Amino acid sequence: MSGPVTLTVRDTFAALSRTWSQVWFQDSPTSPLELARIGIGAALLLHYALATPHLFDLWGDAGWMPRDVVLKIGDPWVQSVFFYFGAPWEWVAFHGLFLLCCAALMVGWRTSWVKWIVLVGQISYDYRNPMLTYGVDWIAASLLFILCVAPVGRALSLDRVRAVKVRDLDARLPPYSSAWAGACTRLMQIQMAVAFFYSAISKLGADIWWSGDAVWTVFTIDEYYNRIILDALASHYWLVNLATYGTILIEIAFPFLIWQRSTRPYLLAAVIFLHLQFALLMGLFYFSFVMIMGHMSFVRPEWLTRLGAAWKRAIGEMEMIYDGGCGFCVRSMVWFLAFDGLGQINTRNFRTDPSPIVSDAQMEEALYLVLPDGRALPGFEAYRYVVLRVPGLWWQVPLFYVPVLSRLLGHPLYNWIASHRSLLSSMGSRAVAGASRQQER
Amino acid sequence: MIWNRWRQRLTYLVMSAFVAWHTLAMVIAPAPDSSVPVRTLRAALQPYLTLFRLDNPWNFFAPTIGGAQLRYSLEDAAGARHTFTPTEQLNWFHPDFIWFRDWHYAIIDNPELYADRAGALLCRKHASLRPVSITFVHYEQGSFTPADQLSGKHPMDPEFITVNTVKTVKCPAP
Repeated sequence: MSGPVTLTVRDTFAALSRTWSQVWFQDSPTSPLELARIGIGAALLLHYALATPHLFDLWGDAGWMPRDVVLKIGDPWVQSVFFYFGAPWEWVAFHGLFLLCCAALMVGWRTSWVKWIVLVGQISYDYRNPMLTYGVDWIAASLLFILCVAPVGRALSLDRVRAVKVRDLDARLPPYSSAWAGACTRLMQIQMAVAFFYSAISKLGADIWWSGDAVWTVFTIDEYYNRIILDALASHYWLVNLATYGTILIEIAFPFLIWQRSTRPYLLAAVIFLHLQFALLMGLFYFSFVMIMGHMSFVRPEWLTRLGAAWKRAIGEMEMIYDGGCGFCVRSMVWFLAFDGLGQINTRNFRTDPSPIVSDAQMEEALYLVLPDGRALPGFEAYRYVVLRVPGLWWQVPLFYVPVLSRLLGHPLYNWIASHRSLLSSMGSRAVAGASRQQER
Repeated sequence: MIWNRWRQRLTYLVMSAFVAWHTLAMVIAPAPDSSVPVRTLRAALQPYLTLFRLDNPWNFFAPTIGGAQLRYSLEDAAGARHTFTPTEQLNWFHPDFIWFRDWHYAIIDNPELYADRAGALLCRKHASLRPVSITFVHYEQGSFTPADQLSGKHPMDPEFITVNTVKTVKCPAP
C-alpha cells in the first residue's frame, strides 16, 4: 500500500519540480534584460543630468526637504548616502559618480559593479527627498534591483565586446545564456504584471474610472491642460469614455494575457501604445520610457534576433578598411567596433589584405568604408555614414549630424588625426609599455 | 564530484528561494493590509521592501485625480504685493516641471513641514524686491465640464477655483 503512495508522491513532486524549473529556470539569453539596462541607464543619465543645476535644492540640506523632516521617519531601513554627507563637495562628487555609473550602465562598462552604485544612488535620491518620488521612481528602483541580481553586461556590452575585439577585430562576442538569466527575466516580467494588476485594481476602486470620466478630469487639471485636446474631447466625449475604459481594460488584461504566446504581441503593442500616449499627451516622457524598458523583458530573444537580421539586411554589409600597421588606428577600431552589436561592419587590414576597390595610396591618406553598392567613403564621411546605420552608435549621431558644423570641424579634425597617426601610435605604445613595466615591477 | 553535484543542488535551492521570496515581496508590497495573512507577511518582508525601495503602491492616477496650483504673493518693504505663479515659468518638456509641481503639492498638503523652508528660499530668490513676507495660496480646481470647455471657458477661471491661503512666512530682515 505504501509503495504506490510513495510513488505517487514522488511523481507529483517530480512534476512540480519540472514545472518550477520550466517557469523559472529555462536557459535564456540576457538580451531582453540588456535592452532594459541600456534604456534605463540612458533614462536615468538624462533625468539626473538635467537635475544637476538643482542638486542642492532637490537633495541638499539647505534645499526643499529639511534633513530632520526625513530623519523623523525613524526607520533604520530607510537609508540614503545623503544622510551621511556634510560638505557640499560630497554631494557634487556623488552626483558626478552616479552620472558616470549611469553612463557606464548604459554602454555596459564594468556592469557588474556600476549597476549597484546606480541602485544605491536611485534609492538615495528617493529617500533623501521622498516628495519628489512618483511612479517612475517606484518602477526604476524595482527594475534596477532586478538588473543588479541579473547577469547583465554579458551581451551588448562595451567592455565584453572590446575584450573580444582586442584579440581579433572580426571576432564576435559568443552568445550567452543561462538559467539565472531566465529567472531574472521572469522576475522583471512579474514585476511589470504586478504593477499593472494593482494599477487596474486601484482604478476599479474609484468612481471617476467607473463613470468613464477619468481621462477628461486628467486633461482639465492645470498640469496636463491642453486646449486642443480638451476641445477635441469635449466635442467627441465618447473618446473620453473609450480612453478611460480602454486604459482599465489594457491594465487588467495585461497580467493575465501577456504570458500566452498568441496574445503577447498584442498586449505588448497595447501597453507601448498606452505609454506613448502618456508621454505625448501628458508629458510623462521619463515615466513612459522607463515603463517601456520594463516591458522589454517580454520581448522574445528570437524577435530581437529577427529584428537585428532584418536591420542588417536592410542596411547591407559594410567593410571598413584600416591601417593595421598603425597601433592607434587598431585601438580606435576596437573601441568603435565594440558598439557594433549586430556585427554589421566587416574589417580589412590593407597592409595584409589589399582592397580591390581602394588603392593602397588612398589608404595611406585615410580609413575607407566600402558600401554594398561598391562606393567607398573616406575618413570622416565613413564614420558619418556608419553612426546612422549601426544602432549601437546612434548616441554619436548628434556629433556627426549637426548641420554644417559637424563637417566643418569633423573633416579637419579627422585629417589631422590621420596625418599624425604614427605619432599618436607611438604615444599610445609608450603609455602601454609604461603600464606594462609598472605591472612587471 | 559529489561536492559538485551538491553545489549545483545548493545553488538551485538558493536561486529558487530568492525568486520565491522576491516574487512574494512584489505581490505583497502593494496588497491592502486588510487581512491578517497579508499583515503577517508584510511584517516579515518590510525591512527588505524598505531597504531596496520596493514598497510601492502602483496606484497610478487612482483613486482620485485632483487639480491644484500653488501661487505665492510677496509683500515688499513698501507694502506692495507681487503675485507669482511658479508653474507658468516651467517647461513642460523638462523634468523640473514635475519636481516643482511635487514641491508645490508638498507645501499645500503639509505647510507645517515645508512652507517655512520654501518661504525662506523664495525670500532669498526675490531679495531685490526687499520682501517682508511670502504668502502661499492654494488654487483648488473644481468641476469643469465639456460644456464649459465648448463655451470658451478655462479650468483655471475664477468660477472653477477655490482659493485658500496656505501659510504666510516672514522673511528674515536683510
